[in-house]
Amino acid sequence: MTIQVQDLNKSFRVHVRQEGWTEALRSLFKREYQTVQAVKDVSFTINTGEIVGFLGPNGAGKTTTMKMLAGLLHPTSGTIEVDGFKPQEQKNEFKKIMSLVMGQKSQLIWDIPPMETFLVNKSVYEIDDHSFRQTLDELVELLELQPLLGRPVRNMSLGQRMKCELACSLLHRPSVLFLDEPTIGLDVNTQEKVRQFIANYNREHKTTILLTSHYMGDVTALCDRVMIINHGKLLYDGELQVLSEKLTPYKLLEVRLPSSTRGPWESYGEVVTFEDGKLTLRVARDRVPLVSSELLANYEINDLNIQDPPMEEVITLAFQEESHDH
Amino acid sequence: MITKYLAILRMKYVEMFAYQLSTMVWMFGTMVQPLITMMVWMNIYPDQGESFVLYFVALIMVERLTSAWDVWEMDRQIREGTFSYQIVRPFHPIHWAIAENIVYKGLFLVVLVPCWIILALFIPSLRLHLSVTGWGLFLAALLLGAVIRFAMSFLFGILCFWMNKVTAIYAMFETVSLFLSGQIAPFSLLPPVVKQISTFFPYRYMIGFPLEILTGTANSHTLMIGFIGSFIWAVVLIVIISLLWNAGLKKNQAVGG
Repeated sequence: MTIQVQDLNKSFRVHVRQEGWTEALRSLFKREYQTVQAVKDVSFTINTGEIVGFLGPNGAGKTTTMKMLAGLLHPTSGTIEVDGFKPQEQKNEFKKIMSLVMGQKSQLIWDIPPMETFLVNKSVYEIDDHSFRQTLDELVELLELQPLLGRPVRNMSLGQRMKCELACSLLHRPSVLFLDEPTIGLDVNTQEKVRQFIANYNREHKTTILLTSHYMGDVTALCDRVMIINHGKLLYDGELQVLSEKLTPYKLLEVRLPSSTRGPWESYGEVVTFEDGKLTLRVARDRVPLVSSELLANYEINDLNIQDPPMEEVITLAFQEESHDH
Repeated sequence: MITKYLAILRMKYVEMFAYQLSTMVWMFGTMVQPLITMMVWMNIYPDQGESFVLYFVALIMVERLTSAWDVWEMDRQIREGTFSYQIVRPFHPIHWAIAENIVYKGLFLVVLVPCWIILALFIPSLRLHLSVTGWGLFLAALLLGAVIRFAMSFLFGILCFWMNKVTAIYAMFETVSLFLSGQIAPFSLLPPVVKQISTFFPYRYMIGFPLEILTGTANSHTLMIGFIGSFIWAVVLIVIISLLWNAGLKKNQAVGG
């Protein structure tokens, strides 16, 4: 087991202020504070080599949890163990086996080429010449970095910079990788490349990866297992597929038929859309085989497609379920 | 440790030349205020013009070589959240700051010393008559001054873990420093009470004390008090930093997504 988290809690004291001139003035003399509990009794374990997706809306507590795992934040209570280390002790041995990538923050030095930051990391992480060369060559090839190595970071596009960030954080071959929204702001094409890279890297090096993202595509492409967090509480921890079956006990049937065809579609399932010969039906999972064979037998069908409901819908439902509990 | 330092020194060196213009402004722009102050004093005491030239040119030199800017950097990085990357890397952030100080001050030295030598060719009062011991004492005081100023600045930087915009408080600290460190007037012109008070504050040891040695106005009593004061302040500040650092990390909110 690589990561073990037990009853983790984190609360912040936040300064609250009403709007308006007089209130602003008043807050100079008398400050009011509010305690915000960002993470509540979270427990989980992650095994070596696993990729786990960490999902939740903004402010759910994902990043806070991740920062505690990386040792940046001290937990208010509870225990964390990463590869036998307590992250908040910030031992150098721990720092050398892990890496943190924050999509919104750069570790590359802004006005000089990325190679300079790579060289700094080489020394700071005490990477020997041979393995540095080898790792760098591999990363340069996989991420197509060659043309970027000599260019100041500020002149790069976001996608180019993100690829350099990834390379930079992998030079010391961490066994645990925390990726906080690594694809944020990237175009679809670059997102796909970054995803492929992460998937390959995990396969080849058995790196344990915890990933947060707002893009469902990241999670469906990379993670078999997801953890869903909202309002600081862990709502679900398990396989993505199981979650989907549990929350959306139906599939979508997309049928193409001649536009003149009419039928009692409601008797087969809930009609989502029906126009220009394209019919979309929502059908309970156990009725899907029956409904499809009936449709095929009774109508002239050009095409029939059975789909899982989009992940976005599943996740939205997961968040809604939790709000009902409140 | 040394290889880590060398790597960061190299990177800071490359970075420094990426900001050519701002580095130059930084080096020469700060000369304006002492030069104006010098002219004011020369106007008040026209017969002492030469000693003011020596004092204020030496001031520019010492001030640049002991200058500290770490609090501004830390304030920005902690507020924006990029400081996190220094915390997660296996090398204490203070070393990054020290390396940066070495690089910039090295550049100031390489540029300002030849400037002084050229000026001294034309202005006789700038020719220094220090003994070898004198130079040794000056360098020791200068180093202690740089350590104290750096430590003070870094200490304020650590406070950013607790407060927003510590730089406002630091700016106030610097303003007081203008008077008590000898940047507005030479120590000999300050009222006796201020001179007394300045012995207990760190300001004098940051700039005024090395300056007195360089301009040859320090007697043996001043030297003794000066070195004892500098040393105590340096040790005290380093101890406070090491205690405050861990408390600061616990408090750290690692802001930003």
